[in-house]
Amino acid sequence: MPNLAIILLMLPMFGALFAFLSGKINKKFAFWSAEIIGLSLFLITLKLYSSYTVPIDLPMTWFSLGDFSIPFGIYIDELSLVMLLIATGLGFLDIHFAHDYMAKDPHQPRYYAKVLFFIGGMILLVSAKDMVSLFTGWEFMGLASYLLISFWHDQNAPADAGVSAFLFTRFGDIFLFASIGLLFYLTGSLDLVHLNELASNGKIEQNMMYLIAIFIFIAAIGKSGQFPLFPWLMRAMEGPTTVSALIHGATMVNSGIYIVARLFDFYVAAEALLVVAAFGAISAFIGATSALVQSELKKVLAYSTMSHLSLAFIGLGAGSLAAGMTHLVNHAVFKALLFLGAGAIIMSASHVKDMWRFGGLKTKMPLVALFMGLGALSLSGIPPFSGFYSKDAIIIATLTNPLTSGLISSLTLIAGILSIAYIARLWFLTFSGEPRDKELFLKTSKPSFFWIVLPLAIMAIATFLMGFSQESIAKLVSGNVPQEEHVSGLFIGLMSSITLLALIVYYYFVKRLDLTKKIAAQPLMRSIHKVLFNGYFIEFFIHYFAKEVVIGGFAKSINWIDTYIIDATVNATVKVAQRVKMLFAKTHTGYTSDNSGAMAFGILILLIILFIGGAM
Amino acid sequence: MSGVELIFYPFIIALLTAVFFRQNSAVSKFVALALFTYMLLFSINLFSQLPSSGYLDLGTYLSVPKFDFILTLKVDMLSTIMLTLTSVLLLLVALSSWSMKNQALYYSLLIFFSGAIFGVFMSTNLLWFFIFWELTLVPMYFLVGIWGEERRIYAAVKFFLYTHVASMFVLLAFFLIHKEAGTFDMTLVREGMLLSPVLIWWLLFVGFSVKMPLFPFHTWLPDAHVQAPAPISVLLAGVLLKMGAYAMIRMVLLLLPETSQQYAWVLLVLGLITLFYAGFMAIYETHLKKMVAYSSISHMGLVAIAMATLSYSGLSAALYEMIGHAFVIAPLFLLAGFFHHKTGSWEMKDMGGIMQKAPYISAIFVLAGLGALGLPGTMGFVGELSILLSSIKSFGLWMAVVAFGSMLGAAYIIWTLRRVIYGEMSEVVRKTNFSMNIFEFLALAIFALFIILFGVFPNLLFEYINPAFAQFTSLGGAL
Amino acid sequence: MISAFTILFTMALVSLFFHRSFLLKPLSLVALSAAFYVTLGGAVVPLIGFATNEQIKLFELVLEIVLFASILHESEEITITQTLFLGAASVLLLQSNTLVSFILSFEALSIISVVLVSYIKTKNQAQGAVKMFIAGSMATGIVLLGSAFYLMGGGMLLEPLSSKGSEFMNIGVALMLAGLFYKLTIVPFHGWAIDTYALIRHSHAAILSGIAKTVAALAIFKIFAPFLAEHITLSLPLLATLAIITMTLGNFLALFTKNIARILSYSSIAHAGYMLIAFVAVKSTYADEGILYMAIAYIFMQSGAFLALDSLKKEYDIKTLDDLKGFASQNSTLSFFFTIQLLSLAGIPLLAGFLAKAVVFYAGVDAGLWWLVLIALLNSALSVGYYAWIIKSMYFDEGTLKERLVDLHLPQIAQLILAAGTLYFGVFASSVFM
Repeated sequence: MPNLAIILLMLPMFGALFAFLSGKINKKFAFWSAEIIGLSLFLITLKLYSSYTVPIDLPMTWFSLGDFSIPFGIYIDELSLVMLLIATGLGFLDIHFAHDYMAKDPHQPRYYAKVLFFIGGMILLVSAKDMVSLFTGWEFMGLASYLLISFWHDQNAPADAGVSAFLFTRFGDIFLFASIGLLFYLTGSLDLVHLNELASNGKIEQNMMYLIAIFIFIAAIGKSGQFPLFPWLMRAMEGPTTVSALIHGATMVNSGIYIVARLFDFYVAAEALLVVAAFGAISAFIGATSALVQSELKKVLAYSTMSHLSLAFIGLGAGSLAAGMTHLVNHAVFKALLFLGAGAIIMSASHVKDMWRFGGLKTKMPLVALFMGLGALSLSGIPPFSGFYSKDAIIIATLTNPLTSGLISSLTLIAGILSIAYIARLWFLTFSGEPRDKELFLKTSKPSFFWIVLPLAIMAIATFLMGFSQESIAKLVSGNVPQEEHVSGLFIGLMSSITLLALIVYYYFVKRLDLTKKIAAQPLMRSIHKVLFNGYFIEFFIHYFAKEVVIGGFAKSINWIDTYIIDATVNATVKVAQRVKMLFAKTHTGYTSDNSGAMAFGILILLIILFIGGAM
Repeated sequence: MSGVELIFYPFIIALLTAVFFRQNSAVSKFVALALFTYMLLFSINLFSQLPSSGYLDLGTYLSVPKFDFILTLKVDMLSTIMLTLTSVLLLLVALSSWSMKNQALYYSLLIFFSGAIFGVFMSTNLLWFFIFWELTLVPMYFLVGIWGEERRIYAAVKFFLYTHVASMFVLLAFFLIHKEAGTFDMTLVREGMLLSPVLIWWLLFVGFSVKMPLFPFHTWLPDAHVQAPAPISVLLAGVLLKMGAYAMIRMVLLLLPETSQQYAWVLLVLGLITLFYAGFMAIYETHLKKMVAYSSISHMGLVAIAMATLSYSGLSAALYEMIGHAFVIAPLFLLAGFFHHKTGSWEMKDMGGIMQKAPYISAIFVLAGLGALGLPGTMGFVGELSILLSSIKSFGLWMAVVAFGSMLGAAYIIWTLRRVIYGEMSEVVRKTNFSMNIFEFLALAIFALFIILFGVFPNLLFEYINPAFAQFTSLGGAL
Repeated sequence: MISAFTILFTMALVSLFFHRSFLLKPLSLVALSAAFYVTLGGAVVPLIGFATNEQIKLFELVLEIVLFASILHESEEITITQTLFLGAASVLLLQSNTLVSFILSFEALSIISVVLVSYIKTKNQAQGAVKMFIAGSMATGIVLLGSAFYLMGGGMLLEPLSSKGSEFMNIGVALMLAGLFYKLTIVPFHGWAIDTYALIRHSHAAILSGIAKTVAALAIFKIFAPFLAEHITLSLPLLATLAIITMTLGNFLALFTKNIARILSYSSIAHAGYMLIAFVAVKSTYADEGILYMAIAYIFMQSGAFLALDSLKKEYDIKTLDDLKGFASQNSTLSFFFTIQLLSLAGIPLLAGFLAKAVVFYAGVDAGLWWLVLIALLNSALSVGYYAWIIKSMYFDEGTLKERLVDLHLPQIAQLILAAGTLYFGVFASSVFM
């Protein structure tokens, strides 16, 4: 088994190189090598999963630095395996989907190489035994995400989006990097399992543990697109939709939650879960409300991703590892489904992303509409789809935990219920009603079944079936089956509000679209719309801070100091030397009388000194 | 050729090259390549001859016993690593200068420089060390002054004068060492022999800080780097700065361990200031090569921090980072120079979209940039991780601030990539043909290979780096 | 016994008959070679009051090489004759070891120097010669006054300078030194040198500032060192002050100067300041090696620089830094030699100038005067400013091609000899440390 794990880690990296090089010979080779490698990765993971008995534990030393050894170990347990299944399974479907989606792109070798590199990073992250290999996988994914977002780098918007993604996530990563140092200093160990044990046994000082937990959580926030580091996630939608589906919907954004889950005992011991839940609640609310008003298909999904990842964070924060992680797993599948469905629409509709130009597309692509509808049901938490169970569990967890039962659980509830509103709005605007842009509608083509619809179908079936195996997923990700607590009336309340909201959305966005526009034209609604549409202006504030305070203020003043004080001092020596030279030049008039006078004066001084000095 | 011949023959070869190949300048390239290859082989061969600890004696020459003015050539692991690094860089610099004008003189100055720099790393006699140390300035002065950009004269004179003034402090310190310890041989000097170690420490510290360079003695470097031709910037960053760091390790930290322990905080504080100060300078900079220069300074700040730990792991980390910095910053300088050469502008706003025109060259730029910001898988990350761990172990938790230095790195590198490599093509770029000489590209590719190879397998280097500071385990260092 | 003095003096007299003959130069060179040979054999001037030692011998050899080079360089007959006379006087001065022989030889050297510069063709040269003459006569007066005091106090003329004696003797010695410092161009006895070196013919300046000055410095040190060591409490602060003032003044004045000859004359003053450190650090065992090394290095590099400048003036009519612009691309050989001497003057290693400074400054450190050495080192670094500036004009600036007035070959050989000397003593220090 360890050998298989090593192959699993190495294959994507070499595969990326191979896909790139073979693609240079023929573009098709790139796809096929990626497809085959993607499939074999999934099969290897399945094999690892099916033959799982004990965790694969490979402690390795990366390098020795003086008298330290820097570890780089591999540890694959059930949690890792679930994440691996998601990464490789969805990764494979995503590559498959890209056959058509990227068909016209001239840079396919680069694309597939980067995707495989990304999958490799994800595999490394979830199989990491210690902080170093974890951080390496973490950064690999960050790099792959950056490179893939700005895949169409010949346009300014994707290039800017890449910068945004890299810098926002890097800001978080720095804290993870710092926490490696802190952990090394405090415990001398970087092993994740060992750290959990140390924390549970109270071997680490409480305040420091809290600080480290917060540091790691900042990294998680950055990677998982949570408040306040989420704006990059919306911008990341500039990348190819396949990338958004895989990286920014299903896998990479999960890594923040994964890392908290991986160090769950540490977080429990550090008593930092409330912070996780609080930030999760804020993000869930922001994400759900902002998703309501977006006009771009992918942006709705991006905000929804943010909101649903927050739910997973809230689950963890409320103390229920099972609820949070199950939701993460469920979300990965249905969000990939929704994103790829969106990809199918966008591809067919000549890369238009604006929902207001769609409408009535269900006649053009009924299967896509169907599967996206199933995904939407799962997302909005309709039983028996998987989304229902985990969302329910999270809400119950917040209600039963006294720390989170107040504000946090209310926000969670709002965010949970609002899911139906924005996803219904998305579905109705896209598929039902009359086509709003006739020209576009006519141009819209029918997606191919094998390359486009089949992956959607597989995921739709998965999200449906997963609804019946929630307990085993929970057991896998948390090691025990959680005791299901019941909160009376919750189910009824949820269902009735969901139905009500769905009806309202149907009324306003299908039946009376004109009325919606009228309401939206009201000044108050317009300002609310503006705030929500721009994600509460958080990106604006961060940009303002970075540009005006850090660069325009701080960096500029340092630059000023360097130019006008430090370097000016150095250059001033020339001026000083010039002055001194002028001064000295006065001592030399060139007149012989002065020369002789100076000599005589010198003799006089000499005699006086001799006299004082006592030689006389 | 023996050690001493590798120092002095280059001077003669340089003169002959300049005189005889003036008409047939292509030959001079091959002379340089052959010599540098030989130097590389010689340095690599030294590894197998080194004793398990201490110095390998390469002979004593030109003995003047009364003044203790003896050319003592001894190498240990540290100097052999520096020799190897230097030869690799010289070789690659010779490749990347393939289409330089006035080649006979250019390559003869490079050859001259190679002799001097070998002298620096091989001689253990302080006075001879100083001689070679100063001698490296002369070819650099000419290389910057003749082949440099618009403000080359200002930069060359500033560089020459500034570093020369700093060297004067070093010379005085060496004199004091000889007076108090009775010898110029640094392998024989022990701190206990010295009467005024603090004065000597400060003199040496100031002298070497200029070369490294540390804040606030750094201002010569951006000017010199920017005005120098790109391959010479590589030598400046890869060899001359390393010379400063090497001297700081050898003459300050290893020679005066107790005083260094006492004043390590000075080095630490200056290192931290340099790291952040230069980082912010780089963020604000719109001039491509200046940005790279500030990034280079910022990394030397990291090296200083690692040195300040005075521990086994810290010094190993410092040496690794020195090598990593050389390989990472070199392609950045070369490509900055290349882009300037092609577009005729230094400003990043005039560039953009170069990736579309020259994907492979741009990919190397991206890779080197990622190395500079410390992405795992590159040498930059191993260096930063090592420095973080060793400094936090020595100075405590607050050294986690080192990690935040790489946020600045990410900011200036990613923004630079965006402005130069990615995005829509600017008018200038659209009109430019980014074709590159095969030899120059080869040099870049080798740098790129090193960045990844030693970034993924750092033990290839640490195998040699760790023994260089093994004495710290017995000293019981700071750990 | 035939000494170098005899040969040079005879040749100088004989040379008068060979003016306007092509044999003059070859004969003089042969004579110098002969002098070199007898010096190698350890010949001493066969008179009372003269002696030699290994250090003096070495310096005489160096002196004869430099004289050889300057005669090779020289094209005026009268100057060749006077160079020979000056060489003869230098040998006398170097070997003198009593007060009277010292003073007489010194005066002989001074007189010949005056005669040398009195070969006046232009107004500038006249100005330079007169300034030197007036300063020189005043200095002679002071020296004689000093010796009168010295004798009055009971000093002996026919013996080496006594280091212990009455107050009058001390005052006498102090006055003598002051008078002698005029030749060394120590501030405030330097005024004449600034103009004279710059205004007279460059080949004369090479002899005056390169040869006569170093000979005088070495001889003065030899005679006065024991006395200075004995009265260290007074001599140290006095001479240290003079050293600092001299080098600082010289270096600062040289900065931002356009006229190359003037730069070299200022640098000559600065170097006098460095030499004075050996006088201050007389207690150190390195002081006599220091002054010797300084003399050897300086005689090569200063004569080399001035002779190179002479070639520049004669062949291309180059006088200022502006004229020098882009010169390296026109005549790389001459530029190369000039650069070597300038770098040596600047104290760049592997050249004699560096080791000379290193030994002198080390003597200072050895005597415990590290603060003085620090000032000297910083001065030396400052001096790089103007030397590097000359080099910058030659190599970095773009300039127009100059018209070549004459094409001379022998000066190039002279340059080669001097550069070789600068290089040799920059690497092989063992020949100086005996």
